[in-house]
Amino acid sequence: MKTQIACYGAKLVSDRVAAPGRVALLAQDDVLLHYGADDLVTLGRELLPRLNVTALAIAAPARPCGDLLIARCAAGDEVIVPRDTETRTFLHDIPIVRRPPDGVHDPAHLASLLGGRKGIAVEGLGIIATGVTPEQAYINVSSVYHALFVKLLLDLLRDGVRTAAEHELLADLRREVTAAPGMEGLSFRPGPLLKPEEILDEMARVGRYTVERGLVDSFFGNISCRAGAILYISQTASSLDALAGCIDPVPFDGSSTVGLTASSELPAHRRIYEMTEATTILHGHPRFAVILSMLCEHQADCRVVDCWKDCPAVRYLGGIPVVAGEIGAGGLAKRVPPVIGATGRAIVFGHGVFTTGKDGFSEAFRALLEVEQWCQRDYFRLLDTALAASPKR
Amino acid sequence: MNGWHGRLLHVDLGRGRCRSESIPTALLHAYLGGRGLGVRLLRDDYHRDPADPDLPLLFAVGPLCGTVAPTSSRLVVVSRSPLTGTVFAASAGGPFARRLKAAGFDAVRIVGVSPQPVVLTLTPHGGELRPAAQLWGKRVAATVAALAEHGSVAAIGPAGENGVLYASIVMGDGEAVGRGGLGAVMGSKQLKAITVAGDLPTVVADPVRLESARQNVMRLFRASPVLLGELGLGEFGTPAFVDLMAQRRLTPTENFRKTHFPSCASYAGPALHRAFAPLRYGCDDCPIECKKRTAQGLALPEYEAVSHFGALNGIADLQTIVAANALCSDLGLDPISAAATLAAWGEMRGRFPRPAEVGPLLEAIAARRGDGELLARGSRRLTVARGRPELAMAVKSLELPAYDPRGVYGMALAYATGNHGGCHLSAYPIAHEILRKPVPTDRFSFAGKARMIKIAEDSNAAIDSLVACKLAFLGASLEEYADLLAAVTGSEYSTQALMVIGERIWMSERFYNQQNGFTAADDTLPERFFTEPGSSGDGIAIPPIDRSRFAEELAKYYAMRGLNSQGGFADPAFLEYQP
Ligand SMILES: [Zn+2]
Repeated sequence: MKTQIACYGAKLVSDRVAAPGRVALLAQDDVLLHYGADDLVTLGRELLPRLNVTALAIAAPARPCGDLLIARCAAGDEVIVPRDTETRTFLHDIPIVRRPPDGVHDPAHLASLLGGRKGIAVEGLGIIATGVTPEQAYINVSSVYHALFVKLLLDLLRDGVRTAAEHELLADLRREVTAAPGMEGLSFRPGPLLKPEEILDEMARVGRYTVERGLVDSFFGNISCRAGAILYISQTASSLDALAGCIDPVPFDGSSTVGLTASSELPAHRRIYEMTEATTILHGHPRFAVILSMLCEHQADCRVVDCWKDCPAVRYLGGIPVVAGEIGAGGLAKRVPPVIGATGRAIVFGHGVFTTGKDGFSEAFRALLEVEQWCQRDYFRLLDTALAASPKR
Repeated sequence: MNGWHGRLLHVDLGRGRCRSESIPTALLHAYLGGRGLGVRLLRDDYHRDPADPDLPLLFAVGPLCGTVAPTSSRLVVVSRSPLTGTVFAASAGGPFARRLKAAGFDAVRIVGVSPQPVVLTLTPHGGELRPAAQLWGKRVAATVAALAEHGSVAAIGPAGENGVLYASIVMGDGEAVGRGGLGAVMGSKQLKAITVAGDLPTVVADPVRLESARQNVMRLFRASPVLLGELGLGEFGTPAFVDLMAQRRLTPTENFRKTHFPSCASYAGPALHRAFAPLRYGCDDCPIECKKRTAQGLALPEYEAVSHFGALNGIADLQTIVAANALCSDLGLDPISAAATLAAWGEMRGRFPRPAEVGPLLEAIAARRGDGELLARGSRRLTVARGRPELAMAVKSLELPAYDPRGVYGMALAYATGNHGGCHLSAYPIAHEILRKPVPTDRFSFAGKARMIKIAEDSNAAIDSLVACKLAFLGASLEEYADLLAAVTGSEYSTQALMVIGERIWMSERFYNQQNGFTAADDTLPERFFTEPGSSGDGIAIPPIDRSRFAEELAKYYAMRGLNSQGGFADPAFLEYQP
């Protein structure tokens, strides 16, 4: 448990979710264990005993998305509602806590909010989240950060950039994405991948690449490979950068239910293999693709209310199809397979990206990276257009 | 009143009287309903022997019952178990629960012994007792058919009448209250069946909020591979677990001598599908629909039943297993304890039952005839009587279900700490140790498990009081159910508030057990699990459980519960501080 909290605490920083040195992770076993910054640990000690949970994480975010969003909220707002569908499904809404006049947050109040939701955004402090394990507290911080990031960038584009701090954040992000590494330094086994041990090993490595290149939020996303009658797929709630022992071999003919623990996107993967020539599939939630997928010029005059699941249209972003659809068998598993064959790429409204390869993982990985890079460039292009059109203050 | 009716029906079988009582609102808020309310209502009588005529048998529904809240057509039956001697609460789903609520009651408390067999008929006008001599001796299906005109039926079979210590109470149109022998308590009161009918609505404080909370739950169900995925419970029912547990090498086989049964594919989910082309149905309007039955109406077994009539008895024949399960239902027997008792007997005499012997043995048990007389007392009493107590694979006399603890250490701890004995549902660590929900944990490690088991026990006690189905929580969490509860009742509840309620219920149960003589010595596993390995293979090693590490984690568990090192309550007045 001691090593777990140190591991996930450090991961919040290496994932670029938390600011370096500004994270704390606490867990109550028979004694209270802690990792991280002293002042945050002190606060955590006040909170954890009030909650019937195992772990608590506090992170000052790498980018002040929460504070900027709170500053943009109306005076009476008590929560931020995520706009992307994945975090909306699992988090519902994120309670916000404004900075008190004396700057000192009341632990009892924070604990009472944490008693109702998986994570909260605290002005001037950061994100606090709980979990039944240290890993779950880590995931919840990461998911809250993902939700805040996506919502802030969408709101800035829609409602305009208002403050110097917002301009500064966008300039930082622009520098960061321009400098982000591409395929260099990564190596892929050439396909076709046929031997089980070779497949498992390659999936574990490529999974790690997706995390290293920031193509997944926390580690959500999934990866699969088809070899004859078997579909190898990452397990549900598995960490893409630690897939050893977390890949299920699922027989295509339905002769066994061992795939019960497979990713919730198993039906989508299966149907993609059935309808296309793909032999590998990657799925992640890269942030700019999630953001751009939700920009639709027809929204003003469209009758569809729940675009994320009900939009029947196929739209295009840089030639890549965008479809709507809920996680699981009923939604995106129906909509993605028919559109992904042509380019080996598809984006799901407010959710993420699927890419495929005909031969090994290199093609699918390159596609995932390119989709996100295109979306990053296009976000800043749209932002520049919006900024140029808005009256100068 | 929103959510609750605030009324219970008190039935005195000895005097032949029924009367309606109000339930204090404060108790409803503090204990919700179902298990919590039942346990609270047992407070003045928990010390009574299971054979004491004045021991209450309580049926309780919850505040969500009768609303659109998913999986909430459930009830819990609470009493003291004749099998385990512990307080017991067992839950079942189906229209019976909704109709009981629609008759205008949150709970029914049954005391006394009727001078002759009776049926209790419940409607919004109250309760009525009718002579039922003509039904006594009848099996469940025939009893339900005879009473169908009165609404939904919950009945005991011959096993309950004859005092089989693991007799069940079967809902004619839903699940059974299977475990713990509560059917024998009902039988001892000469109560053959209860019928319920009514159309009183559950008043909802905020229907708009309820609908939005319902949508949040449904969204999580649809995103859950275990619930609604193509290999999930909606598709295959709980027998979907057969392949998974086999792959993880934790299938209890031949009375837990082994943990792998190579022939289990013959009764796994896909095999049931091929053989029976089952239709899916749910408990009332449950959207998960994990129940499976044939077009002819034959209900197919759950995972626990297929695995225990299968691997545990070394039987691979699918037809035998399905027939045994159906027979248990008709005789009013808990299939888990029945199969496990047969397996203990099998190991004891060096031969497990042949497929053709299973049906006749179950009949003999229900009738307490021949070998059935001893088998009817469950595995512990059976093995003690024959001088082989080490062969009872039970905790606090409750036969263990189909997850071998040597392959899931959280389950090992939860079997030991369970207030109802070795039950998989008290904490259901299979969720994280095997199904990876909400997050995966290392199934071969005790690290952190004491806290996780405590949290899950509290959480499940709250779930059993809402009352919702524990399988729903493989997709949703208490967070969404707190929203549903707030929408229905108009009072705010948070996850944390529900955990506090769950903890209160759990601790009350433990206190009752302690007062009835249970000690830390009862919080342990059969010796076999500490000394014999399971069936290692496929790169998975199943060694015996490390006894000292187990003891260390159990000690942590006691400390986290605020108990002394002997697992006891420091304060003998514990109950006085509880609402
Ligand atoms: Zn996804």
